[in-house]
Amino acid sequence: MPSFDTATLPYGLLAPQWILTALIFACLTVDLIVGPRGHRAVGWVAVLGTAVAAGAQASLWGTRGTFAGVLRIDEYSALFNLIFMVGGIGVLLLSFDYAERFLGQPAEFYAFVIAGILGMGLMAQAQELLTAYIALELLSFSSYILVSYARTNLKSNEAGLKYVILGSFSSAILLYGVSLLYGAIGSTMFTDIHAALSGAGASSATVIVGLVMLTAGLGFKLAAVPFHLYSPDVYEGAPTPVTAFLSVASKAAAFALTMRLVVIGLWPVRGQLSDAFAVLAILTMTLGNVVALRQSNIKRLMAYSSIAQAGYALAAIAAFFAAGDIPTEASRGVILQLVGYMFTTLAAFGGIIAFQVANNGRERIADLAGLSRRSPFAAFALTSALFSLAGMPIFSGFVTKLFLFTPVAKANMLWMVAIAIVNSTVSLFYYLQVINQMYGKAPAGLVAINAAEAEAAAHAAHAHEAGHGDDHVGAHGAAHGAHDSGAHPEPVAPWAVRGHTDGMPTELRYPLDRLSIETRVGILVALAGMFLIGLYPSPIVDLAQGASVALFTR
Amino acid sequence: MVPIEHVLIFSAALFAIGAYGVMARRNAVLVLMAIELMLNAVAVNLVAFGTLVYPGKTSGLVFAVFVITVAAAELGLGLAIVLRVYRMRSSVNVDEVDLMRW
Repeated sequence: MPSFDTATLPYGLLAPQWILTALIFACLTVDLIVGPRGHRAVGWVAVLGTAVAAGAQASLWGTRGTFAGVLRIDEYSALFNLIFMVGGIGVLLLSFDYAERFLGQPAEFYAFVIAGILGMGLMAQAQELLTAYIALELLSFSSYILVSYARTNLKSNEAGLKYVILGSFSSAILLYGVSLLYGAIGSTMFTDIHAALSGAGASSATVIVGLVMLTAGLGFKLAAVPFHLYSPDVYEGAPTPVTAFLSVASKAAAFALTMRLVVIGLWPVRGQLSDAFAVLAILTMTLGNVVALRQSNIKRLMAYSSIAQAGYALAAIAAFFAAGDIPTEASRGVILQLVGYMFTTLAAFGGIIAFQVANNGRERIADLAGLSRRSPFAAFALTSALFSLAGMPIFSGFVTKLFLFTPVAKANMLWMVAIAIVNSTVSLFYYLQVINQMYGKAPAGLVAINAAEAEAAAHAAHAHEAGHGDDHVGAHGAAHGAHDSGAHPEPVAPWAVRGHTDGMPTELRYPLDRLSIETRVGILVALAGMFLIGLYPSPIVDLAQGASVALFTR
Repeated sequence: MVPIEHVLIFSAALFAIGAYGVMARRNAVLVLMAIELMLNAVAVNLVAFGTLVYPGKTSGLVFAVFVITVAAAELGLGLAIVLRVYRMRSSVNVDEVDLMRW
């Protein structure tokens, strides 16, 4: 660890991170002032504060430096911080309605999202293993809490328990690897690891075991197959905005750390690493797509889809070993893919959250039937996002995959591109099934407009609920539980006719899904980003190019 | 002076016992304790390397302090979640927490 004088540290370089740190406490303080009913105010403080931090981060673009030798500030870390902050703002906006409906005390929820953003930003800046580990744990701890945030929901509890056990297990493995590396090398700085691996150190058994354990730990955070087993359960059980947060930002943070570690620290062994990443990439994209075919839960489907998309990005990391400009191009491709995936996933989860808020947290794909008629905006957001994930032109997915696979092909790995394209085609199948539900099927539980129809609707709703017995354990929000399960089947008709809403079953309280302004803004931002990358990618390509050049400036 | 090999064998054994505990134990509290064993093995490793192999450097010891602190926080967080699961289901058996396929 390098020596430094605390009086002369470049504190200004970390201005966005200080803002985020202050914001965590600001959220909790504002919560004390406004009380639990004013949680939207807390949410807006979080959103605006994160926007200020993002502005500060953008104004630092082009500044380079190190903080105490352990954090590296350059365009690479700046771009990733911006990704996390914009993604975080999207997640915060999308969680307003959801938190109000399903989570008891949402103020801490917003604070922990910001703590997660801070941890991810530090992961992108770290150039020393201890710092990277602390940043990773800041993110992980926030995620554990967020995943189990729906306290009375059994599924959320279960997801939190699984996540905390498997997450700490994997970080113990990662740490053991780090301790072996430290023993063999005597330093945890990425540059010192680079120097030691260039010498004779690379062949020592301690180093090899250490590297394997380190890679396994990172593979867990990337949810790469075979370290992915926790992720479908965690994604399914977590509150939906948290699922979005995990797949949007958490995975990008793991990629940020992995790429910096590979490029700066592990570059001398990149030949072996490249093989390892190629195997991980093929397993990850294939298994993710194949298992996604059999899913009936939309969140679980998105989890497997997220695993598959991470597999595509891993393929580009496998191309890092090639000569010339190909590594820079490949890292540009990975960054673009992560940016595009962030906007796309936000749009998808925006649609899902809008649907869930209006439908008691239902999450089966079959429940999406007729969404285009009940909530055209949510259906449009989800549909464009799914097309983008499948790699259709005019959506961001096509452009980012083009930039992602071109360097892979140039690195003489055409077979890898072929596997990815086959996978992409397979993925179209399950994405189209969801779209078919939304546009091709009749909506269930349409709202009655006169007495006769109301009577029919009451029966239909009752029958519908009966068919959902298996979902009730997982239905969100026990406070609303009494309304969920057809406990008041008879009085539906009079309420529906008179237009009262109090005490009415929530199924009928949303004649058309009414989206709040925050959800609309969140979805619109995500859609705008997605179409911007799809139709006019050059500004973001330039940013990603700058970040890649900075990454490879050792 | 204890030879470094002895300490490393001790910590490897500790780590292996912990890993076994995570996989074999069904009680969530015991699983968390097993994870704690694995993290303690890491701390033992770091202290051994810091004092025996690199006596002039403090970074190994600093690392160990961080590991112990983070491990304590992790256990606290894990126990809070286990407690919540227990209140909801009256059981902390990880085999019974199976709403979603494990």
